[in-house]
Amino acid sequence: MSSAYSRQEMMAIATGREIRDGELAIFGVGLSMLAGYFAQACHAPGVRAMTEGGVYGATPVGGLPWGIECNRLAVNAVSFTSALDALGCLVASGRCDVGIIGAAQVDRFGNVNTTGIWDGPIGESYRPPKTRLTGAGGANDIACGAKRYLIMVSHEPKRFVERVTYISSPGYLDGGDARDRVGFVGGGPSAIITTLGILRPDPQTHEFQLDAYFPFSGVDEILANTGWNLQVSAGLRVVPEPTLQELAALRRVDQTGMLRR
Amino acid sequence: MPTKVITLAEAVRRYTWDGMQYASGAALPVGSDAIAFGRELLRQKRRDLHAVFHANTQQLNLLAAAGAVARAECGFSGLEGFGFANGLRRAIEQGRLVLEDFSNLAMALRLLGGALNWPFVPATVNIGSDLQYRRAFEPGIHPNRNKIPAVTDPFSGRQIGAFSPLRPDLAAIHVTLADSDGNAIMLGTEWSRFELSRAAKRVVLLADALVHTDCMRQYPNLVRIPGIIVEAVVYWPFAAWPQASPGMYDVDEAHMKDMNRALGSEEGAAAYVRDYVDSYADLDGYLERIGTGKRAELSNGATAFLLDPYRRWLLPHAEAQALSTGGDA
Repeated sequence: MSSAYSRQEMMAIATGREIRDGELAIFGVGLSMLAGYFAQACHAPGVRAMTEGGVYGATPVGGLPWGIECNRLAVNAVSFTSALDALGCLVASGRCDVGIIGAAQVDRFGNVNTTGIWDGPIGESYRPPKTRLTGAGGANDIACGAKRYLIMVSHEPKRFVERVTYISSPGYLDGGDARDRVGFVGGGPSAIITTLGILRPDPQTHEFQLDAYFPFSGVDEILANTGWNLQVSAGLRVVPEPTLQELAALRRVDQTGMLRR
Repeated sequence: MPTKVITLAEAVRRYTWDGMQYASGAALPVGSDAIAFGRELLRQKRRDLHAVFHANTQQLNLLAAAGAVARAECGFSGLEGFGFANGLRRAIEQGRLVLEDFSNLAMALRLLGGALNWPFVPATVNIGSDLQYRRAFEPGIHPNRNKIPAVTDPFSGRQIGAFSPLRPDLAAIHVTLADSDGNAIMLGTEWSRFELSRAAKRVVLLADALVHTDCMRQYPNLVRIPGIIVEAVVYWPFAAWPQASPGMYDVDEAHMKDMNRALGSEEGAAAYVRDYVDSYADLDGYLERIGTGKRAELSNGATAFLLDPYRRWLLPHAEAQALSTGGDA
């Protein structure tokens, strides 16, 4: 039995549980960094963590870093290199085991949009979005090169769409063997972890299915918050709630309480 | 040896012009950005810039908000933990600025291609996504085949992409330490400053501190930007403020938030330019604008120990300032 925890904390812990000890892992700023460093603080002390700026061997001090080059990480790094080194030599090369990325929109084949929100399809001629977002950043490089990656996203209908308006980071594209045909070095998204549950791709169609729900959610709530006809896996399960140990580890990393707001 | 140290105003007068391809930024949005150079671009009313920023920074956010940028190319276009870049997004959404999107590795590779004078760089990322198929600079063609054209790997026969190299007219690069000849040490991640310093046609350094050349002779392995490729050095403490400079100062959280909020509107941006761009006459005036107490607080961060090995070579403020030539501030 554990104490009260937020939906965001459950999402971060469920994401962290996907990271295995000893893996070479890349985390972006924000929630994905909290999930990654939670894993390191809890069950995967030997995880080899890096940021896309080429900051190695660091663990955040004083709360969630403002950026991946922030002094909260620079304070105890053992190596500073560069974007070319981290995203190129270690990620696009295919060496990185696992990455974590976020999404403004995600679709049933795990394609991610972080570029913008348009009022309807973009159309034949490119036009600026109604709401401009943060762009692809290093997420596209992780999506193309990491052996597998995890997508962390708040579970809302506006975010879970049939087809993203703009593919910033490729998942399985049109599904089936579409991703293989492009010939990416990396394997693609292995899970979408949300504030309500976990989705995983069907091995053949690569369509994401509901694999598990959290103790506080359920299938109906998840279906109601998904913008496509989400299939439920035959092996549907409930995710074990955070242990006291896990919560304590997460809150040590999330010193400034980003996940409890 | 003749000094390359000139004033910030002189550097902008000498090396910039309207419509140029201007590269800056540096180590991601919240650190080591040569934003002081961008403030001076605005003071001298430069406009119609084609900005090449590996990732957005407060500098690009400010230049975009003030209407000085017509076209931009970058990877990440937000402000990391500080949210969306309100000045940049406003300019894009209103159609005043056209932003061409790439990924962060793509920008580093394109700078490397420019540095090596390669005709193109093989692309195994960005392919298969809208980063390849949508081209803001050529909006009418979809799917676009000119932004990241498909090419065949001559060895495997596999189809990949081709990135165009970048050769910006000028790079204004933030460094922690420089000597008067432009040999420089960067503390913290380099991000893509190594590639950028070789890709740009000209390089101007903005250094938080000047050091004696003996410092470079003690740590030559750490001098990743040598003076032989540097045109000019500007001595400008807190050059990246309100962003961080590892070893020197922390991010000014309150100013980062206030600034980004201000840049979200036309009036706010004008007020910011009035208060933090046009309001000082020289370096000392700039430092006063930040405030003595604030500077002391930001300098007293947890990474200050990173500077320890270099302290004995730091030139005192007055001595560093006295090296600058080129007239007014």
